[in-house]
Amino acid sequence: MADEDYNDVDMGYEDEPAEPEIEEGAEEDIDNNNEEAVGEGEPIETEEKVELEQKGATRKTSKFMTKYERARILGTRALQISMNAPVMVELEGETDPLEIAMKELRERKIPFTIRRSLPDGSYEDWGVDELIVEDSWKRQVGGN
Amino acid sequence: MSGTEIMKAAEVQVHLGRYYQNNKVPFEGGLLDPRMGPANKTCVCATCHGDFGDCPGHYGYFNLALPVYNVGYMTTILDVLKCICKSCSRILLDEKISKEFLKKMRNPNMEGMVKKAVAVLGIIHDRSKVTDGSLEECKSAIFHTKESKASFNVATYILNPIKVLYLFKRMTAEDCEMLYLSERPEKLIITNIAVPPIAIRPSVIMDGSRSNENDITERMKNIIQVNASLRQELLEANAAFRCLAGWDTLQFEVAQYINSDVRGIPFAMQASKPLSGFVQRLKGKQGRFRGNLSGKRVEYTGRTVISPDPNLKITEVGIPIRMARILTYPERVSHHNIEKLRQCVRNGPDKYPGARMIRYPDGTARALIGKFRIRYADELKYGCIVDRHLEDGDVVLFNRQPSLHRMSIMCHRARIMPWRTLRFNESVCNPYNADFDGDEMNMHVPQTEEARTEALLLMGVQNNLCTPKNGEVLVASTQDFLTSSFLITRKDMFYDRADFSLMCCYMGDGMDIIDLPAPAILKPIELWTGKQLFSVLLRPHASMRVYLNLTVKEKTYSNKLIRTEGDEEIRIETMCPNDGFVYIRNSELISGQLGKATLGNGNKDGLYSVLLSDYNPHAASVCMNRLAKLSARWIGNHGFSIGIDDVQPKKELSDKKGKLISENYEVCNVKIKEFNEGKLHLKPGCDPAQTLEAVLTDLLNRIREDAGKECMKGLPWRNSPLIMSQCGSKGSPINISQMVACVGQQSVGGRRAPNGFIDRSLPHFQRKSKAPAAKGFVANSFYSGLTATEFFFHTMGGREGLVDTAVKTADTGYMSRRLIKALEDLFIHYDNTVRNASGCVVQFLYGDDGMDPAQMEGKSGDPLNFGRLLMKIEATCPARGHKYLAPQEISKMVEKQVAGYGMNPDKTCSEAFINSLRKFFESRQDKLEQKIKLIEDFCGDRKSEILEKVAHKISGITETLLEVFMETCLSRYRLKKIEAGTAIGAIGAQSIGEPGTQMTLKTFHFAGVASMNITQGVPRIKEIINGAKRISTPVISAELEFDDNENSARVVKGRIEKTILGQVAKSIKIVMTARKAAIVIALDMETIEDAHLCINADIVKESIIQTPKLKLKQQNITVLDVRKLEIVPSVVKSKIHFELNSLKKVLPMVIVKGIKTVERAVIAEKEKEKKKVNENEKLKKKYRLLVEGTGLLAVMGTDGIDGRKTKSNHVIEVHQTLGIEAARICIIDEIGETMKHHGMSIDIRHMMLLGDLMTFRGEVLGITRFGIQKMDKSVLMLASFEKTADHLFNASVNGRDDKIEGVSECIIMGIPMPIGTGILKVRQRDVVPPLLSYEGPNPIIS
Repeated sequence: MADEDYNDVDMGYEDEPAEPEIEEGAEEDIDNNNEEAVGEGEPIETEEKVELEQKGATRKTSKFMTKYERARILGTRALQISMNAPVMVELEGETDPLEIAMKELRERKIPFTIRRSLPDGSYEDWGVDELIVEDSWKRQVGGN
Repeated sequence: MSGTEIMKAAEVQVHLGRYYQNNKVPFEGGLLDPRMGPANKTCVCATCHGDFGDCPGHYGYFNLALPVYNVGYMTTILDVLKCICKSCSRILLDEKISKEFLKKMRNPNMEGMVKKAVAVLGIIHDRSKVTDGSLEECKSAIFHTKESKASFNVATYILNPIKVLYLFKRMTAEDCEMLYLSERPEKLIITNIAVPPIAIRPSVIMDGSRSNENDITERMKNIIQVNASLRQELLEANAAFRCLAGWDTLQFEVAQYINSDVRGIPFAMQASKPLSGFVQRLKGKQGRFRGNLSGKRVEYTGRTVISPDPNLKITEVGIPIRMARILTYPERVSHHNIEKLRQCVRNGPDKYPGARMIRYPDGTARALIGKFRIRYADELKYGCIVDRHLEDGDVVLFNRQPSLHRMSIMCHRARIMPWRTLRFNESVCNPYNADFDGDEMNMHVPQTEEARTEALLLMGVQNNLCTPKNGEVLVASTQDFLTSSFLITRKDMFYDRADFSLMCCYMGDGMDIIDLPAPAILKPIELWTGKQLFSVLLRPHASMRVYLNLTVKEKTYSNKLIRTEGDEEIRIETMCPNDGFVYIRNSELISGQLGKATLGNGNKDGLYSVLLSDYNPHAASVCMNRLAKLSARWIGNHGFSIGIDDVQPKKELSDKKGKLISENYEVCNVKIKEFNEGKLHLKPGCDPAQTLEAVLTDLLNRIREDAGKECMKGLPWRNSPLIMSQCGSKGSPINISQMVACVGQQSVGGRRAPNGFIDRSLPHFQRKSKAPAAKGFVANSFYSGLTATEFFFHTMGGREGLVDTAVKTADTGYMSRRLIKALEDLFIHYDNTVRNASGCVVQFLYGDDGMDPAQMEGKSGDPLNFGRLLMKIEATCPARGHKYLAPQEISKMVEKQVAGYGMNPDKTCSEAFINSLRKFFESRQDKLEQKIKLIEDFCGDRKSEILEKVAHKISGITETLLEVFMETCLSRYRLKKIEAGTAIGAIGAQSIGEPGTQMTLKTFHFAGVASMNITQGVPRIKEIINGAKRISTPVISAELEFDDNENSARVVKGRIEKTILGQVAKSIKIVMTARKAAIVIALDMETIEDAHLCINADIVKESIIQTPKLKLKQQNITVLDVRKLEIVPSVVKSKIHFELNSLKKVLPMVIVKGIKTVERAVIAEKEKEKKKVNENEKLKKKYRLLVEGTGLLAVMGTDGIDGRKTKSNHVIEVHQTLGIEAARICIIDEIGETMKHHGMSIDIRHMMLLGDLMTFRGEVLGITRFGIQKMDKSVLMLASFEKTADHLFNASVNGRDDKIEGVSECIIMGIPMPIGTGILKVRQRDVVPPLLSYEGPNPIIS
């Protein structure tokens, strides 16, 4: 019985890529897929590396954005947007400043530099567009 | 400030101790002089002409007739006086030495100057032999100083404030510096008092002419009066005596002005209702520091009763409309929201989607009351701020006290609803520890866009599904949800198309896409199983790519062994008769009835944990929402209730129970009889009474359990309590057994009911009765009803529980507070070190691997659960045609992959992780080899490719699979790293403090050995954390060199346990002969042999000589032979008789063998050390020693003990014998052990952090006020912790400055702290905004 079940399951997945591939997050809606592509697309990653080679020699901290940096940047940006700052991305009907800020972050258009200070008093400057943001956004926030 | 400085700063000299004139105008020069600020709203300040609201207040002063001490500086004054010469005011030190110290003091690199200076001064003090300048009475400060130089009389005399002031004034600047005084010492004595501004001591006019003055004002009035009378007395000549009394009174008044509960005030002076002083304003929970600076009252909050609503999402909270109309959010008008806000303004403050206020860019504000609202709405412009009512989707913080961990306050989305309660999904009860029996909860509305964002991203429910305590999910289905899932997934639950579709619709709001699976039964009618419903729930439609894979063993799982293959045991697993093995493959529930282990909290392999780690929080929360809706609606239709018939035992059951009880009673009676006859077989280390108690308690406790088992077996499957206990939603077998069969043994303090009457517990029983019923055994069930005595015993047990909880909450609360204060400023810096606020490194890498404890998947805190991950990858990426790797190839591939990932420049993976990965594959490879061999053995020469494939299919792996697996592992490992800025200290403190509240039962038996109690629970945790010097039950567990021989263990035990002479001596006799009088000791060699002690007369002689009290010398004792020795004391003949008698009394107590500090040693069998010695599989017992008492060093040094494996539970002793690193390990192990005893798992990283913090200074610092002081904390932090006033006074004497870098200081000063989002700075980059082409009007910029 179990074997049959397996086959059944496999049949259902036939349209899925037969090549083993890990799913990146639960794809809730089909609409979301293109967002995903923007967020984690290959080309950006390669750009990253080129930049890192130029600047990265002296910088030691992680190239991934921490959740605190994320929150701070989005918060600051959302405040700016709520105070009628010019938006750096094209909108598709979003009105909530936070949502707009998230979209900007997803498209790496937030015009901020993060200054990470190390305990010895020195600091490193990282542009928001240089840092890698881990996951897709919309879903982390709990709204729909 | 010195007297002149005060005069300069003041605006007015106060000389009248009065308040108002008749016409309610304050007196000029009185305590409410208008020059010090307006006394009430009608006055205007005479200095700055500000009104009541604007004037900041100005100081006044008045001159004291005679100087007095400042009580706050009493100890400092004393210290300074101790160090200086009472005639020339120079420091009591040679010129040369003093220069040296001065140099040291001036060294800028020297930290902790205070302590060093104090220590140095102590030495000086001793050398110059100025004996004890002691303080007899605090207030009058009488110094009895015996001058050793004897220049004048040696009598004591009083150093009065004038004299001290004179001495202080003559001190040189260098001496001051050496004493670590930042200011002139004469400022420690009060000559002029500054009268504080009226603003800090408000005067309230009561009805008519009376006014109510502040305590400070009243005290000031007293001082002025006393001062005036003193001045009067001074003017009168020859009044030295009375003046002294007046001076004392003044001193007392001034002292109480500063600190109203100073000691040493004569009884007559104490007022019935004490006026509070300045110190009282600052200190304590309600004081300025803890009550107003560290925590403040806030606006935009709400509080009501809570109630459940399964139709809400877990991220939502239902807010009553009434509340939404009061709470507001300031929204700035922009293009998108102008119409909405206009409508809000039009509606005004009383109609729901309304607004309360408009604030204009020029700073003016208008409340929306009255008729002008429509006009205001029309005039609304971009840039205005509208305080609008709360609306759906707004961000609110939700909290329930006690806020023990960070999940006690989380961020929800608002949902405005009718009626009067706050509502939320029951799944979120757990983190708040809320129920709906009348609990109230609080909510706060963040007021800025930044605050909302941070709340949402960092405190949101969906981002806090896991507890950082140990990485288990906390937000999970509870109670009814579990019950209904359990019922739905029953094997015999089938639904037809209508039912099934209806239930599918229950899951959402009827608008979701759902792909109906193929029915499980097609003919005669289409039927779906309940399990299929859960497959739909997990993955409603095909385009959703959630492939969940997991196996969980539910509570009902039988765990039956089918057969063993080599080492491997094949369990029944999916074919479990109780359907207890949950297997979900590719989001399809294949087997198992779902219960708490799968859906509930506190399991790392549960459904939600897997969803969370394999997918994302959203997937998990959506699933929870669906389950909540489905089960709430389903169980509403299905019905589930409990009635009296559910707890009525069937006849068989009550017969069985009766038999069980009578059988056990029989055994008990036999044991009691044996005890009375003295035939009882003793347990190791116990006397007969203890043994009997242990045996009986054990027997009686088992009755309840056995009865419980019978109940579980005997009750019909439909029985509601049974269902609830099976699925884990509520109740345990014991609860059922108590209701149905037998309440069981009641215990008080871990024993059976104590004797409240003479030799019996209640007068209903015989004296000295040990029978079960007489000692608190309740044979009845709650259903059958308790007899009077049983009921009484039951209340005794119940009372103990209540008392325990009450005591515990206070204890753990204080413990948590101390932990937080000690750990609050530890966080992770950008270089991945853990440091405290002043930058001192506590850990170089958090938890030795830098992982986030909240995201650990493995049971024991390992980052990943490889087995599950591989299973998932195998299921989601079927092998299909790819070639399987041969066993040897696997390790090669692993190495290749590791080399590719692990060695990359970022060094993403720790060595330990790579090693665990390797180990996993090694075991996998072994398994594969075994399988292949097994198959080869099985089919011998008929070996075919197909059979080989079978082996591979079972435990093989393909190349691509391996690649994917490694990639997932490594990338996921990176995601689980802890992020810079995490306030790991506070998290750790909460993770240790929070479980403390749940700990019950104070003591616990040591495994295996009866009668050896070790302090457990909260008291034990307290001991460890306090770094207690004396702990209540120190135990050393010593490993033996030969641990498989009981006899050798006995020998070693004999060496450790102390043996006194009385135990091994046959006789100690006084022998009086004509020529000599002596004591003759004869040793009992048989006993000595029996106990394997090597004691002979020589050893006894040595030990007698070494006993200091006896004062016996070598020549006094002569050894007659191996077993006899003679003692002849050397005293005068007349006294010899007394001497001999006293010796005879003392001698039996002489310790001849063993370690003095050891109470006793017990031989214990090692648990779980069942080693197969030979092929007969004979289990050989292994032994070790448990030594009660201290003396680790001596125990380790004993012959036959393996010192390398010997451990102690006494942290301080471990530190003294083995050093600081050993102490750290000891702290970590002991906390872990204690928590484990109570069934609580805490991630080891938290305990490591605590251990490191307690030891990073090189000594064991307890988390107490003394330990925390040494952890280089700032003054403000210490002041906000304990001993507020002392810290502030000391800091002012030493001239300390505070850099405001810790958490407490930042909160007190109202500055963002450099933790979390505050760790970084954000800079705006000047980028020209891109020209965007919009279709239609520009959305934001008008």
